[in-house]
Amino acid sequence: MALIEKLQRRIIDLGLLPRLIASLPRLSLVCAMVGICWLTVFIPMEGQYRRTYISENALMPSQAYSYFRETEWNILRGYRTQVQLLQSVGPHQRNEEISAWLQEFGVKTATFVNEEGKETLYGILNAPRGDGTEAMVLAAPWFNGDDEANIGGTALTISLARFFNRWPVWSKNIILVFSEDANATLRSWVEAYHTSLDLTGGSIESAVVLDYPGANDFFKYVEIYYAGLNGELPNLDMVNIAVHITEHEGMKVSLNGIPEEQLDQDDFYSKLKTLMRGVKFMALAGARKVYGNEAFSGWRIQSITLRARGEEGPFDITTFGRIPEAIFRSVNNLLEKFHQSFFFYLLLAPRYFVSIATYLPAAIALSVSFTLASLNNLLNNSYSSASLLSLYNIWGLLALSVALAISYIIAQLLAYAQHPQLLVLSSFVVSFIPILLKNVKIMAPFAYRCRAFAYLYLSIILTSLLVVNFALAFSIGTLAFPMTLVKNSVTSKLRLKNCLLLLLSNPFISIWIFGNLVDDQLGGIQMFYGFISAWKNLGCWTWFIICIGWLPAWLLVAYSSIATSSISIVDESQIEAVKHKKTL
Amino acid sequence: MKALLLLHTLLLVSFAELSTLTVDDELVILDGNLSAGNSEDNCVVNDPSFGIKEEEVVEEQEPPPVSGHFNPFQKESLMDYPFEERLVLRPLPRNFLLASFQFNITSDELSIDKGASHFNSYAHNTVFPRSISPILEHTNTRQLHLRFTHGLWDAESWGQLPHNGSKSGGTGVEIWAVLESDSKQAAFAQWISLANSLSGLFCTSINFIGSDKTSYPVFSFQPSGENSLPLFNENSKLYLVRAALANEPICTENLTPFLKLLPTKGKSGVASLLDGHKVFDSHWHSLSIDIETRCDDTSCKYHMEEFVEMVVHVPNALDRAEKPIPKPVEEHELRCDESKPHDVFECFPLPESTDREFELSKLFGRYILGTNLVSRSPSRVCAEVGPNWSALVKVGNTYFSTDDNCFEIKGDELHDLYLQTSDTAQVASSEDVPIYVSRSLTGYGQDGGGLRTVFKNPSNETVSLVYFESLPWFMRLYLSSLKIESEDGLQLDDVITNTFYLPAIDRQRPTHLEYNLKVPPNSTFALSYQFDKALLKYAEYPPDANHGFDIESAVVTVLSPLKYEMRTATLLLSLSTPDFSMPYNVIILTSTIMGLAFGTIFNLMVKKLVTVEEADKSNGSVGSRIIFKFRERIKAIFKKKVPLFDESKKNQ
Repeated sequence: MALIEKLQRRIIDLGLLPRLIASLPRLSLVCAMVGICWLTVFIPMEGQYRRTYISENALMPSQAYSYFRETEWNILRGYRTQVQLLQSVGPHQRNEEISAWLQEFGVKTATFVNEEGKETLYGILNAPRGDGTEAMVLAAPWFNGDDEANIGGTALTISLARFFNRWPVWSKNIILVFSEDANATLRSWVEAYHTSLDLTGGSIESAVVLDYPGANDFFKYVEIYYAGLNGELPNLDMVNIAVHITEHEGMKVSLNGIPEEQLDQDDFYSKLKTLMRGVKFMALAGARKVYGNEAFSGWRIQSITLRARGEEGPFDITTFGRIPEAIFRSVNNLLEKFHQSFFFYLLLAPRYFVSIATYLPAAIALSVSFTLASLNNLLNNSYSSASLLSLYNIWGLLALSVALAISYIIAQLLAYAQHPQLLVLSSFVVSFIPILLKNVKIMAPFAYRCRAFAYLYLSIILTSLLVVNFALAFSIGTLAFPMTLVKNSVTSKLRLKNCLLLLLSNPFISIWIFGNLVDDQLGGIQMFYGFISAWKNLGCWTWFIICIGWLPAWLLVAYSSIATSSISIVDESQIEAVKHKKTL
Repeated sequence: MKALLLLHTLLLVSFAELSTLTVDDELVILDGNLSAGNSEDNCVVNDPSFGIKEEEVVEEQEPPPVSGHFNPFQKESLMDYPFEERLVLRPLPRNFLLASFQFNITSDELSIDKGASHFNSYAHNTVFPRSISPILEHTNTRQLHLRFTHGLWDAESWGQLPHNGSKSGGTGVEIWAVLESDSKQAAFAQWISLANSLSGLFCTSINFIGSDKTSYPVFSFQPSGENSLPLFNENSKLYLVRAALANEPICTENLTPFLKLLPTKGKSGVASLLDGHKVFDSHWHSLSIDIETRCDDTSCKYHMEEFVEMVVHVPNALDRAEKPIPKPVEEHELRCDESKPHDVFECFPLPESTDREFELSKLFGRYILGTNLVSRSPSRVCAEVGPNWSALVKVGNTYFSTDDNCFEIKGDELHDLYLQTSDTAQVASSEDVPIYVSRSLTGYGQDGGGLRTVFKNPSNETVSLVYFESLPWFMRLYLSSLKIESEDGLQLDDVITNTFYLPAIDRQRPTHLEYNLKVPPNSTFALSYQFDKALLKYAEYPPDANHGFDIESAVVTVLSPLKYEMRTATLLLSLSTPDFSMPYNVIILTSTIMGLAFGTIFNLMVKKLVTVEEADKSNGSVGSRIIFKFRERIKAIFKKKVPLFDESKKNQ
């Protein structure tokens, strides 16, 4: 008797498998807990995260002295006064004026008008003796994410371009972009650059969006935004050099807009806060306020937004200009595309990070918990013996496809006729289906199969999403988890419980509640407009993933929570056995 | 593989008569009734005309004074070899300056009958570089054109390229040659041999040219000069072969061999100005060599033109000479716009000053070290400047001027050129380019993309041109996706009059595409097509795999209203690149897991779990166990004894 046999016998003797099956609901819950705790408790603990480091040796941030100072300050202020004067003129006239300034020192300019009729002025500063195949973008939206006039940023971009023009070091072209806003207009320019623009300057390697609202001379600290659309992040090296350079210039770095008073904290809670803020920004990218770096997501462009905060402070506007200067010098050193450092990471502080291998188990555990819930509904009832091709399975699959179709229609309908209030209201009503449809009954095995398919479907969605867009997978997994606790509505108490669970795990209601709880920007119904406009204008998939990934599962679970009539299921093999007995 | 290819080609040739179009046949889409022809015909340069009367002005050469009593260092009796050199300076708008160094060299008469391998042959070289002629003879090269170009020629502001663009290539290295050979295969072998020889000579990677980079132009690159295409053997043909390397950085190591080809070696004459640091610090620079074999009724000679051209930004170059780091200017040097608010706090900058005076020695960091000592015609420096400029030559401490602003460098004194103007914006008028062509990559993702070329004809005349494009095989082109975008409603048929398309073969041949285009006056349109990105084999990636792959520039040859040649910028194609350390990681990981899993599973399946009692039982009867124990004891005793025995041995 080999060891394996022994083991197997022991397992059978102890009845481990039935016990395991019996404890599936508990296991599923444990998995979800482990997943959530992994991210919120385990990772911010000392020893689990790492210090950031510059992985690509060629970058050498802050190794060259920054010269954007002294009389550049006068020039910058000269431009700023003129930019301020341009506030009162129309976009077209303003762009012509700026274009004339740029052309004076040899920038080739062109204007791009998008479908909405909004103008983007862009100019290309060709690298002297460069081969012109690569480019770095310096962008300054005329109005920033907060709809403030980006006077400082625009003036900085112009004077930096003039300053760059005198340097012979550039190996990559420098593209200056002055878009109307940081959102759809900038995105449409990036899209046009890769499809239809006549004046181009090679493939874009990196993009820095400058955001210096107002005409104030001084500022306090720098905010860096890096979360891209669809879970895309700039290479960690890009964020690292920005952080490194900013701190080298003496300024404090705030990631994703952490308030100033929390910048000095270096404890468990501050790391947890920064981490969860990063996850939130990634999950809600596009729907939240857009800072500009999101527009460059895709096309292998590493983009960040630098934002000056505070009207008073020890730092001068030229100090802020030295950050993009040093970033450009760094990126200019690159011989290859950004590829050395991580593309998937979470930051816990400007200088602390965890890589994908460390944080991925959180999402995997959540995904597994759904699989276990699915298995529970498949195995832990009297209908588990039904054959694979039984009517219930086929019905279940059919129900899933119907749910998918409905979800798709809802997603499309809402993208065109934007009435999210209606959606939330109807979701609210549907959540009370177990109580509302008291008298309608469905067959119990069918309810079980529906749930099994729903959880399995969601698990597959989460699994395929967790590497690409970890934050979204984690959020959906966490918010949709109450769904797995739904049981067949047999008693009225269970019915009420199911209603509550359905209400909590409904995609629209739950993100609405969640959005209102965690984000002051997405108050009320605003969030839905954000998602839909991100889908339409920025090519952000979050809305569709919620509608097509999450909603069908919820619909199935909602359907299965209608009161059930239990039926006795007879296994064919049992019938055979009975027949056999009879004949004996 | 080669044998296979040969067989394939043979088959093709034999099937050609059946006029069936096979995959490898070139697809020529013609408008008229011209026939496509097979590849052999297409790459042959037609009309080889050896022996036609020479009409051009190559200076009649007197017998070179090589007699013993001649002292080459005497100033009065300069040697008289067929060598000419010239430096042309042309200010361009926006304070740029084009400096064009031109050298013409003609060789002695060639001995045509004798092959290069003739043991009796001796070579006598005067000014024609000795290193070049054996290569040309060995590879039967009749014409050789070599281009090293880098930087961006700003056609919008600078106008036409010098010499109608015929002397500058695309970014990187470009080389084309006319080879005399019996067959295309032989021509290709000669071509590879030529490339390898030149690669050593010019310190470049020309040796990386293989069949996958070589194309045989059909409409473009047609050799000029009827009497410069002699055919030495009646039975052979002339082949036009071309290749370009876009990712070749042009550097000082390429300039040195250029200077060494000159009889002056850059030690005297205008070439003494050429310093690698300055040449390659310019915005645009182009080194070119054109060698032609020119024949008259009786004899043949090599004729070589060597050009070094560059565009420098004068203020920046002068500033750099003084302070290498372009630090912010001093406060008193700030030039502010007086019409806008200006005080100690702010300054809206004025455009660059147009008032300028400078000396050539400041730009190049060197003086002209006298004239060249080998030619009868002295070295010349010409300034093509507008009327508001003054150009003076400085010899010693004296300044001279001439009417035509051309100066002859005489003697071995240091020469310098002084240029001054009050308005640099007024330059000698340069012709506008007949057409602007720009090309860019489009698309999203790693599996495919698009190529979009914009043609803009700002003139009032229809421009007819040949558009030549040679694309690497890993861009799998879909010519069917060829599209035109035009606001004037132009259709493809309106602009493309003729197409030559030779599809790529993986790892063997590039895509070869040539269009004859007619661009209507005052129109802009874009031609675009889609391609798939092929996956490369692991070893095919270059060391800097993540840089991307440079796509060589497209060549635009304008046929009318004027002859003009230009190149688009090169492109950077990013292919999906593997993480090269990953195979190592994967091998390590999988081996570990396999090892662990195998060990565990094997043990689980093979080993048994037994108690001691069971094991004892299975070991047999009590008697045998006692015997076994006894044997063990004895063994133990022996083991103890052995070292003792050894020690005693040692003591003896």
